[in-house]
Amino acid sequence: MTTHVWRIVKLHFVNKWTVLGIPWLVMTFIFLVNLTIWGVIYATTTGQSRTDAEQGLGYTGASFYIFVYMLIVALQAINNTFPYALGLGVTRREFSFGTGIAFALLAVGYGAALTILSFIEQWTNGWGLGGHMFTAIYFSDGPWYARLFVFAGAMLFFFFIGSVAASVYVRWRSNGLLVLGATIAVIALGLVVLATLTSSWAAIGRSFLAAGSIGIVGWMLVAAVIAAIAGYFVLERATPRNA
Amino acid sequence: MTAVIEVEHLTKRFGRFTAIDDLSFSVQEHGIYGLLGRNGAGKTTLMQLLTGQQFATSGDIRLFGERPVENSSVLDRVCSIKESQRYPDEYQAHHVLTSAPWFFPRWDAALAGQLVADFRLPVKRRIKKLSRGQVSALGVIVGLASRAPLTFFDEPYLGLDAVARQIFYDRLLADYAEHPRTVLLSTHLIDEVSNLLEHVIVIDDGKIVIDAEADALRGSATTVSGRTAAVESFSAGRNVLHSENVGGLSSAVISGLGPDDRATAIGEGLDLSPVSLQQLVVATTTSRATEWKESA
Repeated sequence: MTTHVWRIVKLHFVNKWTVLGIPWLVMTFIFLVNLTIWGVIYATTTGQSRTDAEQGLGYTGASFYIFVYMLIVALQAINNTFPYALGLGVTRREFSFGTGIAFALLAVGYGAALTILSFIEQWTNGWGLGGHMFTAIYFSDGPWYARLFVFAGAMLFFFFIGSVAASVYVRWRSNGLLVLGATIAVIALGLVVLATLTSSWAAIGRSFLAAGSIGIVGWMLVAAVIAAIAGYFVLERATPRNA
Repeated sequence: MTAVIEVEHLTKRFGRFTAIDDLSFSVQEHGIYGLLGRNGAGKTTLMQLLTGQQFATSGDIRLFGERPVENSSVLDRVCSIKESQRYPDEYQAHHVLTSAPWFFPRWDAALAGQLVADFRLPVKRRIKKLSRGQVSALGVIVGLASRAPLTFFDEPYLGLDAVARQIFYDRLLADYAEHPRTVLLSTHLIDEVSNLLEHVIVIDDGKIVIDAEADALRGSATTVSGRTAAVESFSAGRNVLHSENVGGLSSAVISGLGPDDRATAIGEGLDLSPVSLQQLVVATTTSRATEWKESA
């Protein structure tokens, strides 16, 4: 069983370009674009206005790209690698476990790299220009384990949301996604109505602030675990789609 | 002889459509089996069911004596190659040749390398950019080099030119001779593979219409042709699989003619000619007048 599952993990890493090459290449590009902008701001501001600008730079979503990218990696893993693996004589169970482990390894690996980058950014005072890409306000300003938890946990969330959606698609095709989308919309609407009728928006806002980034990512992890378990059962009876 | 595949009363429905209708058959160890039939006859569905990729509606499938669905100990001994195989996005051929050996304990890397050269497969090109024939070649390479005790080829040749198809047939036969295994090959190009096959299973409309040794089939039917009246009187009471009328002339594909029957036919001024495997399949799947299982 161990070797059976491990070969699935390896299968997700065979094409390193997809899981490592492209993400880092795009991230480097985004970083260079940001670096240029920070340089321009740094060169054209002085004193109080520079301090204000640097504070504003803290509200960055520059590294958000990589989380969305991992959602797409998860979609492809289920939509394309799943039929390939079944063709190689893999059981659905092995595929699900191996894929979950691959996602966990990627999340922890990227989480560690992002954590290290966030500390470098901090120690060099924003790459010497007061810039922020890996130390966004609120989300990544704690000790190392808190940052690792936030980065890796958020990434797991995107992996498993992507994989459960793709599993629904592989099993029930587009009709499944329509039903899933409609269900989520109805639940979200219900919650909004509930919050509005009970006038609890302010309380919700306060609880978000109180939860902090750790708390929010903690809830995202709960969602990720539910998505992972749901994805497992959806995929357990799925049949591969052929080209 | 041990049965590698045993299927009993297998049925698969998609909604109201019955793709596989109460099939029962078995496949013995060490042989090249042809799974023949028209488009939509159920060949691909059957192979998907046998390899645990589809779930049966009812009936029983045993591979090596066990059910294949979600069963690693069975699936480790099975390789299934289909023309329509999906590959991960951005994969190049060498990614497949790197990962496939992890799944086939008997993988022969030297054979794979030789086949890559034979088929002139560009391994450093994205699979999406390969021609249809090159994608087919990739599947054929995996299927042959896997040396899986039970290998399924589902129309693996689409887009392959005549030279490449001949390489596939030659390599399959040569490797099969050295490393006996069980191969189930579904194909439309019946004449091309007819010398390769030891056993033939023909399905039509999800049902088995022929299940017989290839040698027995080859001599089993005869085309009788001549004037319509003579052909009709000769055909009466005989096992007619298929008949055609053009003008005042007719021809009929008749099975089970003995030496006496032949002499009678010639005496009545009729022409006799042998029926190839392909003609036989065409005759049995266009008008299914007779159950062939017993008569062949």
